[in-house]
Amino acid sequence: MLMPSAATKQQMPVQGSVKLKRGGKVQKDYTAYIMIAPFIIAFLAFGFYPIVNTLYLSLTNATLMSRNYNMQGLKNFELLLQDKFFFQSIVNTWKIWILNFIPQIGIAMLLAVWMTNVRLKIRAIGFWRAVFYLPNLLMPATVAVLFSSLFDFYGVANQFLVGSLHVFSEAMDFKINETFMQGLVAYIQWWMWFGNTLIILIAGMSSISESLYEAAMVDGANTFTMFRKITIPVLRPVLVYTLVTSLVGGMQMFDIPYLITDQRGSPNGSLMTMFVLMYMKFKSSKGHIGLASATGIMTFIITAVVALIVFFLLRDKDELALQKDRKRYKKQQKIKARGGAAK
Amino acid sequence: MTKKKVIAAALATLMLSGVVAGCTPTDTTVATTTTEGTAATEATTTATTAPVVSGDGDQLLKIWSFTNEIQTMALAFRKYNPEVSVEYTMIPMTAGEYQTKVQASLTTDDIPDVIVLEASFVKSYVESDLLADLGELLPKAAEMETYQMTIDIGTFDGVTKAFSYQATPGAFFYRRSLATEYFGTDDPTEIQTYFSDMAKFEESAAVIKEKSGGDTYTVCSTGDFTNLFYSNRTSPWIVDGKLVIDPMIDEMLEMAKTFRTEGYEAQATQWQEGWFAGMNDTLTDANGNAKKVFSYFLPTWGLPYVLMTNAEAKDEAGTVLSTTAGDWACISGPMAYQWGGTWVGVMDAAKNKESGLKFVEFVALNEENLTNWATGVYTNEYLKEIDPSIADDIAQPAGDFVSSAKVVAAIMDVMATSKASEFLGGQNAYEGFSIAAPLTSLKLLQGSDDAIQRALADPQTNYVTGSATKEEAIQQFKDAVASEFPDIIVE
Repeated sequence: MLMPSAATKQQMPVQGSVKLKRGGKVQKDYTAYIMIAPFIIAFLAFGFYPIVNTLYLSLTNATLMSRNYNMQGLKNFELLLQDKFFFQSIVNTWKIWILNFIPQIGIAMLLAVWMTNVRLKIRAIGFWRAVFYLPNLLMPATVAVLFSSLFDFYGVANQFLVGSLHVFSEAMDFKINETFMQGLVAYIQWWMWFGNTLIILIAGMSSISESLYEAAMVDGANTFTMFRKITIPVLRPVLVYTLVTSLVGGMQMFDIPYLITDQRGSPNGSLMTMFVLMYMKFKSSKGHIGLASATGIMTFIITAVVALIVFFLLRDKDELALQKDRKRYKKQQKIKARGGAAK
Repeated sequence: MTKKKVIAAALATLMLSGVVAGCTPTDTTVATTTTEGTAATEATTTATTAPVVSGDGDQLLKIWSFTNEIQTMALAFRKYNPEVSVEYTMIPMTAGEYQTKVQASLTTDDIPDVIVLEASFVKSYVESDLLADLGELLPKAAEMETYQMTIDIGTFDGVTKAFSYQATPGAFFYRRSLATEYFGTDDPTEIQTYFSDMAKFEESAAVIKEKSGGDTYTVCSTGDFTNLFYSNRTSPWIVDGKLVIDPMIDEMLEMAKTFRTEGYEAQATQWQEGWFAGMNDTLTDANGNAKKVFSYFLPTWGLPYVLMTNAEAKDEAGTVLSTTAGDWACISGPMAYQWGGTWVGVMDAAKNKESGLKFVEFVALNEENLTNWATGVYTNEYLKEIDPSIADDIAQPAGDFVSSAKVVAAIMDVMATSKASEFLGGQNAYEGFSIAAPLTSLKLLQGSDDAIQRALADPQTNYVTGSATKEEAIQQFKDAVASEFPDIIVE
């Protein structure tokens, strides 16, 4: 997560763990494999197998309520493409995620800059950091029920806005307002997650060597220039990490939009995210797991493609150039070793 | 140094969260259930419990249920069948956990022998090949004069696979004091004449609005009367694999629209705050004006589990702020209907089918058991004699309406003095239910009903609030059904 230091960048490729024994025979050391075995085994059983099985199920007409099922090719995907809620769910998911992510990264960045700024000398940073992080510790289900109750027709929001503040003359039916509910879900997602992003950004920023800033100050740079020319470039891997994890989480958005209205993504399917749609297919009276799996696979494909694009666009170009150099160097070395017939 | 700070911050956050968690009030009465009808009986129990094994008989009977209700009967069953020990697993269904758990286990080895099914999903099990044929119990059911509708629900293609111990005809509960105010009488027979069909129901709603100056709503939500329309359809939702929209649906949309636009209903949502507040007279609109609700459509179980438990508003110290107990009466209302209920079946792949069959017979078709169940014989002391290790709160209070007409007739007099009758100002609800029970039919019920009817809720709101025309709302409904049921043809 933290920045690779300049020193590691300069290091030449590390040699593999190969030992030369007295007889000159090469013997591999398997300790490393044993060390990583538990993870690999657990991943294969609980990560890889479910993915493969989901892929398999998506090609069948399996339901939870019958013991037999048949392969039916890509029919589930065909059905999905005919389903207007599927496209609506993609739009909804992206809309709610973007509405939540932009303020999330913006505000987290601003607070992180303030909190790490030596000149501002903010007191009790640890306290504020903890306070901002608190919402993230609440269970999403609880939060959804809380907000659902707040914005009920007979809820506190109406009592406050109409009875105390007289903003409206009569109670608003918030839960049938599509734009409002999408905004509310985006707000809740922001409120729950900006503290998390904040901590990651603070960690990233505090690892930047202060001498860089000191040197910049000596050269007469102001705070904004330092932010733009030092903080952002050095922080890029952290930002990519935040963006990708938030993207993956956002595409899987489920609990809040599912629970805050009627567990069907109401009003008018405006809270139907891809996972809510998937769960509805899973939960319908027969439990269409085939179709639900197909929805899951489509979500997986969308997320994977976008994540790859993000990686591609935000990759570290200096690092890439360095890698290329390293490869070229290796090649030359090899050719030299073989007989020096190079160029 | 930074790492240390981060760790310190994380620890501090954790501790703080503990403090905050300790501060949250624990007595909130917000209902988390929004599912129509499924909040029925789980009001009493909400926490998941580990399987409870009772007895040391050599035959193990595994029972899965979504409430603790059947546990009392399972204990009583052991009294007569000491060779059977019972493993009872309760999984709540507040947000569908029970259905998910059961569905996920169906094709594994970890299945129960006896499975308890609620009205909203019983039919999908009866229609599947997962339940055993219980046809051999039908003669016993005839002898017990079991209400036909409870058998209809448990039957598919002529094969009966589940029985119920309760019948759940619907009723119309109204406030006596308000009836006297607006109609000059609180007598159930006279009030019934004001609400004898849907047209009169609407006329009386206008009277209530006019005489109360708009401060009393006839019903609390437009969702309240949906079950009446669903129960009185002439065609099931699915005919030959195609979606059929019965004319009753059109009437329901119109009625909902009238009630909303005319202000006959309080715009609350069933199973949420405002809906409960109406029951104990604490409903206030956003401006702080007190509002009242004249009536609720609730079935048999709605009386002990919903109305009676919510009729008192208490503050944090437990002082009663407002109560409507004793101010209620019960009539059959504009249309006969049915709502909810619990069925018991045996898994086809069960290991202990024989005991399972015996158990279903005991639960649903045993005269002594049904009498004991309804009249409150199964007290904690009674059950502790069978198994001293049971929890202190396991007991069945009197009042449930059972599925056998024979037992109902026999215990009619006993029920006249029950707490439920006291709550209804001396009226014996059992009497009204016994008239309503044979009138309801549920031959139309299908496995997909619950999901289809839930899909209609949102389009109905759109039509009622004017954000969609009726054609648009029907189209939205069709789209939702097509999305959820790939195997249903929607035209």
